Amino acid sequence: MTHLTPDELIDAMEGLLSEARQSHLAACEHCQRELAVLSSALTEAKQVSVPEPSPLFWLNFSQRVRVAIDQDASTATNWPAWLRWQVLLPLGAVAMIILGLMISVPKQEGNDDASVSAALQAPVAPEAPEALDRWVMLADLVGDIDLDTASAAGVTLMPGDAEQAVLQLTAEEQQELTRLLKAELTRAKS
Amino acid sequence: MSNDSALAISPWALTVVTPLSELDDSALVSAAAAGNREAFDVLVERHRRTVYQVCYRFVNNHEDASDLAQDAFVRAWRGLKNFKGQSALSTWLYRIAVNVCLNRVSAKTPVTEAIESTDHFEDARIEGAQHAMIREERAVAVRKAIAGLPKKQRATLILRTYHDMSHQQIADVLSSSVGAVKANFFHALVNLKKILGSEP
Repeated sequence: MTHLTPDELIDAMEGLLSEARQSHLAACEHCQRELAVLSSALTEAKQVSVPEPSPLFWLNFSQRVRVAIDQDASTATNWPAWLRWQVLLPLGAVAMIILGLMISVPKQEGNDDASVSAALQAPVAPEAPEALDRWVMLADLVGDIDLDTASAAGVTLMPGDAEQAVLQLTAEEQQELTRLLKAELTRAKS
Repeated sequence: MSNDSALAISPWALTVVTPLSELDDSALVSAAAAGNREAFDVLVERHRRTVYQVCYRFVNNHEDASDLAQDAFVRAWRGLKNFKGQSALSTWLYRIAVNVCLNRVSAKTPVTEAIESTDHFEDARIEGAQHAMIREERAVAVRKAIAGLPKKQRATLILRTYHDMSHQQIADVLSSSVGAVKANFFHALVNLKKILGSEP
């Protein structure tokens, strides 16, 4: 007959092995040794207790939990998900890169506007006052930050961050981003 | 005047306000889910030791264990509205604590702590300092060995050995099967024996 499986050895240790398998165990030295190893490890583990912290720790612990819950609640309620810094920073960086390119690349006559439209491939969104307010706030937040300042502060942009940030926007937000970028291109040309 | 008439005259006088500490877990959960922070405080006081112990056995040091236990209770507060009472509150808290530990453990190697409880000194008087020291050293070795097990094996061993949970309950906590729990328990014990066997 085959030796006890790991499941059966656990059952044997806990007194739940079937009678048929118990008769094998009674006659099999290999399985008895395996069972002895498991039982010995379990016995040793059971003897070890967790050191009890001081009573002062428990008093402070409840207070710590209270404070942590308050902090958790205050950080969770204030900002819409898409206005988190993980989204805002890459977006701001994208905006700065585009602005930098517009300033450094010489102006070309002709169909710039058409090529931008083709590249962005998105219809222009109608004016939405609420969305505009958000973008004004975004511009205020990142407008004075240049890449050197951001790098010095430890903010780095990994390849693909900008794409990830844009992908997190809703279709409406993407349209608004398109509109703003186009407006910036137009303003730079004029 | 009869009691009935007293009730008719001033029913509010008979309103009994039960102290929160005397309510059972389910009543406290209902109150806490409705926003009663004091009710949640009582739950924290009631379950903090077991949650801390689960965390301690995972990481084998007090600092990380206290952070993890705190994190578990913050998550419990956040998730109270989703607790439907299908399992005991303690099982639900174990689940949260284990998940917090599993997430943290995967990002951080456990740090062993050699600090022991003051019981050690009491034992020393009775059994002799040398004997107590050997026993304590062995306990440190066992805790270190447990903290070094693969995380699923560690979770299974901790919940089965120290918190007396059934294989089915552990399977629920770990979103696993009973077969996998038994296999993890088996390998945890075998590995524990191997590690301890190689200790001096």
